[in-house]
Amino acid sequence: MDTVLKVEGLKKNYGNLQALKGISFEIQKGEIFALIGPNGAGKSTALRVIATLLSPAGGNVEILGYNLRKEPEKIRERISYLPEEAGAYRNQRGIEYLRFMANFYASDSAKVEEFLKRAAEIADLGERLYDRIGTYSKGMVRKLLLARALMTKPPLAILDEPTSGLDVINSLEVREIVKNYVKEGTSVLLSSHNMLEIEFLSDRVALIDKGLILDTGTPRELKEKYSADNLEEVFRRAVS
Amino acid sequence: MRKFLNLIKKETKELLNIQLIASLLFTLILFYFMGTLMQGEMEKAAAPQEIAVWDLDSSELSQGIIASLSSANFKVTMLDEKDKESAIERARGSSATLLVLIPKGFGRSVSEFNSMDIETYYFIRGFSISATSASGAVKSVISAVNSYISDSFLAQKVPGVDPEELKNPVKNRDFVIIKNKVAEGSPAEVSNFILSQSTFVPIILMMIIIYSSQMVISAVAMEKENKTLETLLTVPIRRNYIVIAKMLSSGLVGLLTAGIYMVGLRSYMGGAMGRIPSSNQLDSVVQKLGLVFTPQGYLILGISLFLAILCGLAIAVILGVLAKDLKSAQSLLMPIIFLVLIPYFITLFSDVNSLSLPLKVLVWIIPFSHPFLATQNILLANYPPVFYGILYMLVVFSILVFIAARIFSSDRVLTMKLQLSRRSLRGARL
Repeated sequence: MDTVLKVEGLKKNYGNLQALKGISFEIQKGEIFALIGPNGAGKSTALRVIATLLSPAGGNVEILGYNLRKEPEKIRERISYLPEEAGAYRNQRGIEYLRFMANFYASDSAKVEEFLKRAAEIADLGERLYDRIGTYSKGMVRKLLLARALMTKPPLAILDEPTSGLDVINSLEVREIVKNYVKEGTSVLLSSHNMLEIEFLSDRVALIDKGLILDTGTPRELKEKYSADNLEEVFRRAVS
Repeated sequence: MRKFLNLIKKETKELLNIQLIASLLFTLILFYFMGTLMQGEMEKAAAPQEIAVWDLDSSELSQGIIASLSSANFKVTMLDEKDKESAIERARGSSATLLVLIPKGFGRSVSEFNSMDIETYYFIRGFSISATSASGAVKSVISAVNSYISDSFLAQKVPGVDPEELKNPVKNRDFVIIKNKVAEGSPAEVSNFILSQSTFVPIILMMIIIYSSQMVISAVAMEKENKTLETLLTVPIRRNYIVIAKMLSSGLVGLLTAGIYMVGLRSYMGGAMGRIPSSNQLDSVVQKLGLVFTPQGYLILGISLFLAILCGLAIAVILGVLAKDLKSAQSLLMPIIFLVLIPYFITLFSDVNSLSLPLKVLVWIIPFSHPFLATQNILLANYPPVFYGILYMLVVFSILVFIAARIFSSDRVLTMKLQLSRRSLRGARL
């Protein structure tokens, strides 16, 4: 299998606080890999470092062979990042926002149109795509942002709590979108508190706590290893 | 380039929203309306004033005084009432602003060198500019009366000699020297001319810097508040392009805003001040002394102004990073306002060369001081300080852009926050 992301001994500090204490994992092409852990475990920090937003204090990150420290711009061309609390420009219309973002990735206007067509399918907002984002509900904004993240078919999509703040119906829709998308070759790195969501979505999971990865494996492997019925129990036993 | 233009388009569109356009239009209309109103008042104030005269003396002198008032831009209405109260009552009922009462025996008393009072009654009917400026009529009337009396006396005693020559026997000829050019003219007029030429630039500059900086700070703060900055920072575009795009679009919109405000202000000032007639003599002095902006002078001044604006925008980007939301962004504008106001007031009220060394250094350190000083220096053909100023601003701008780009390329763009009560660097959310 092709390795899309390779993380080795990744460290990150905020002043005296060690947020990441040397984590390592790999993601293969077409794989959904999830980081699960409690608040403050270091999930979002790991995703932000890999998304080139924060600089690592130690270790090495490579995406499709490009080094994070040396070639962050090459990496940005190959990833898309959906932050947990992301927003969109409220004065723009949904379609304007997508076009604005598509222009950063497309080489010509035909490619922009292709991205927009795909985004419209993913967001599934119908005519509301032509309304101002300020009038959207939280679920609509989240679907728009997910469409933005996936419309370019990035080799690696980094999704931080993709269903954060969404109701059950919207969450199910978002999960379906993500699940279907990897079939087209995109790899996904995601984080979530929701263990059920992770179990449904992920091919492999890393349990993270206090800046350290405690264990990695498929949900089935982990459940067998810790003799647990679900990932919540796996996590509780791994921590204890 | 395509990505950069994409950013510029988005930033400009965000700034040039319907609220801004509406407020600019409203300002223009307001200035125009105020200017028209002021112009009407000024015209009323400049029109001949109506005064009522009650002459109880009917002497040759009093008749002469009344004639001199008519020739001194007063519209005189004569009263022939029986008593003072009736005269005041009639004058009050008319549109006269002043009642002049010449007492009986006035001519005789003056001819015997005994001073005698002329009573004046001023009617206040409102507080508009035209109404209040008419109060100067009292002084003008008395001045015209005194002038008439002294001129008639001198003409009587020294016939054949112009009374003006007797009253002001010493005359002078003024010459002004600037560098190696000499011209005959009033130094006060030349100084006023230089001052009038060099006060307009600081006002424009102050407005552009404050407007553009506010826009940049708000643009960065809004990205933070709306949680769009993180996404923007992960798109494939160089981080310094993000900084430059924000600066450039804010600069353009700031320039447009300031331009519209200046048109409005000019319309208002035109109404308030009226058109100041240009004296041919001053024009000739100004030409002789070389106090004119050449195309090169305009170009140098333009470069100086542009660099000052860029410095303001670069400072604003850095300050914008410190803002955690739009509300805190407003207070972060204060340092820029102070940096603009300090040289503005210093150059307006004093000569930089006459300041103490620490104050001089303070003025020179502030990049915005240089275009303030450039106008006068260009007019006086004193170019070296202007070039040093341009060079200095270029260096400051480069350093500021470097700092801004470094901040945007590092974690600090997300982790730097300035709290109103205390300054602290906070770690990002884990």
